[in-house]
This record gives sequence, C-alpha cells and structure tokens, in this order.
Amino acid sequence: MTVFLSGGAKNGKSTLAQQLAVKLSGEGKRYYVATMIPTDEEDYDRIRRHVADRAGLGFETVECEKNMLSCLDRADKNGTFLVDSATALLQNALFPREKNYELDLEGAKRCADELIAFLGAVKHAVVVSDYIYADAQRYDEITELYRKSLAGIDRCLAAACDTVIEVTAGNPIVYKGVLPL
Amino acid sequence: MVLIIGGAYQGKLDFAKSTFDLKPADIFTCTGGEIDFSRRCIDHIEEFTYACARSGVDAVAYFQSHREQWRDSILICRDISAGVVPMGADMRSWRQMNGLTCRYLSGEAARVSRIFCGLEERLK
Repeated sequence: MTVFLSGGAKNGKSTLAQQLAVKLSGEGKRYYVATMIPTDEEDYDRIRRHVADRAGLGFETVECEKNMLSCLDRADKNGTFLVDSATALLQNALFPREKNYELDLEGAKRCADELIAFLGAVKHAVVVSDYIYADAQRYDEITELYRKSLAGIDRCLAAACDTVIEVTAGNPIVYKGVLPL
Repeated sequence: MVLIIGGAYQGKLDFAKSTFDLKPADIFTCTGGEIDFSRRCIDHIEEFTYACARSGVDAVAYFQSHREQWRDSILICRDISAGVVPMGADMRSWRQMNGLTCRYLSGEAARVSRIFCGLEERLK
C-alpha cells in the first residue's frame, strides 16, 4: 500500500507518517529513507530531532538523497519505506550537489519518475511532502519554479498512491482511499 | 455558480476542464482589473484581486455589480491566505481583498470545491 501525505509546516506530518509506516509494516522490515543533505547546524539539529522522534519505533535508516530506486540496493523491497520528504528530494534533484548546486531543469521530472518507479517496486511506502502553495507572496523565478515543480511531483504522487492525506493541526483529511490506522 | 479554490499549481483549472468539459475559448484568464464575463469560466481571480488591491478598487463590489453576468459561471481563485502576514502593504491589501472576495463568492456559489494535489474536496 502507498500513502501520500502533505500539509503545512509543523502540522504533524512526520509523526503521522511514522505511525502509518509502523502500522503498515506489521512484523516486516521498516525503513526510514533519509533524503536531506545537511548543510548547516540547523539541519543537523533537525536530523537529531527526527532521529529522537523515531527512537524505539524500529526503523532502519537508509540514506538516499536522489534516485530513489538506488536505495533498494541496501533495503528489502518487501519492507515498508517512510520517505521524508519529496521536498528534499526535489531540492537535491533541482540543485544537485555534484553540479555545485546549480539549477538542473531536468531534475524535477527525473525526481518524479524515480519516485513513481520506486512506489511501484516496494510493498509499502509512505511519502511526505510540504504544502507551500497558499501564501500571499510573489516569488522570484527560481522559487516559483521550485513551487511549481514540487506541486507537479505532489500531483503525480497523489494520482499514483492508494491513499492521499492532508495533515492539519495533527488531524488527517483523507482525499483518496482509506487511512490505514 | 461554481467556485473552485485551492493553492497554487494544485490543478484547479485541469479539474474545471475535465468536470465541466471546458474548451480554451470558454476560459478567461484574469491579468488585471477587468473581467470578460461572457466566458463560462473565469480563471486566476487572484490576479484580478491583485490589480484591484493595487488600484484601490473594491473587488467584492465589482462582483456584486456584475452579479447577473456570472451567476452560471465557473470561477477559479487561488487561496493565498495561509502564509505569514506579508511585509508589503500592497500584499497585505491583496491578501485581505482576495479573502473577502472568496468568502463573498463562496456564499453565492451553488457548489464550492477545494482542489488539493489534483483531488477535489467538496466544501459546499
């Protein structure tokens, strides 16, 4: 089963995603796919917070900053994968580290295709994204491209996943499928 | 009238096209302070409210005065209400005017749909 989950910042997306992954995995393997490339102390703090949140839940961490299918070299596809987040994967694809973080216009489509292929290859997956589309700003071209690209990935994931959920103030709103809790 | 709202790039127009069988000629895309109500579907109403906010025009009053012309239309507006209070007065005024316009149109609508990642949530 595949679940796509989005919502605003600090609304409880990661917490719910962990609960769903634990529930879906049953007695099987559960993997946390770490997607963020930390670049400063704030990033390391966030990683420490997320690691502490997951402590005791039995997740094995698989680092995968791009090409989602490559993490299956190090994990059993019959397990349950928590991917947090599509937002970080897009950032890594759109501004690749190996190209000195310069914009790669092909990155967004590649990221979407790899995620969809990954969802088709694994038994269970929960993918988290960020809802960054409802503020009163007029952004620069690059930021707007990032928002548009993430929305494109979100829509692909929402179309492909069995269940689609928006999390608001810790509460799930189910747009598609059923909440497997 | 049908009101379709949602964040940027969520698939509001795609939803309108497939649900109401719209052709390109049926759609008016707002870019300023005038709306061609002869088209069945009015898209990007947030650009209309943006122009109104910048020129001091009351967007709700504009819709009220053209009420007969959009009673059977499909109106699409981006939700811009959920960020930090903008620093610029123009942006604050835009956000306020867009919110008031959505509330007014929502009250008048026979159906209100919010689009999230291409999926509909029926609010009314």
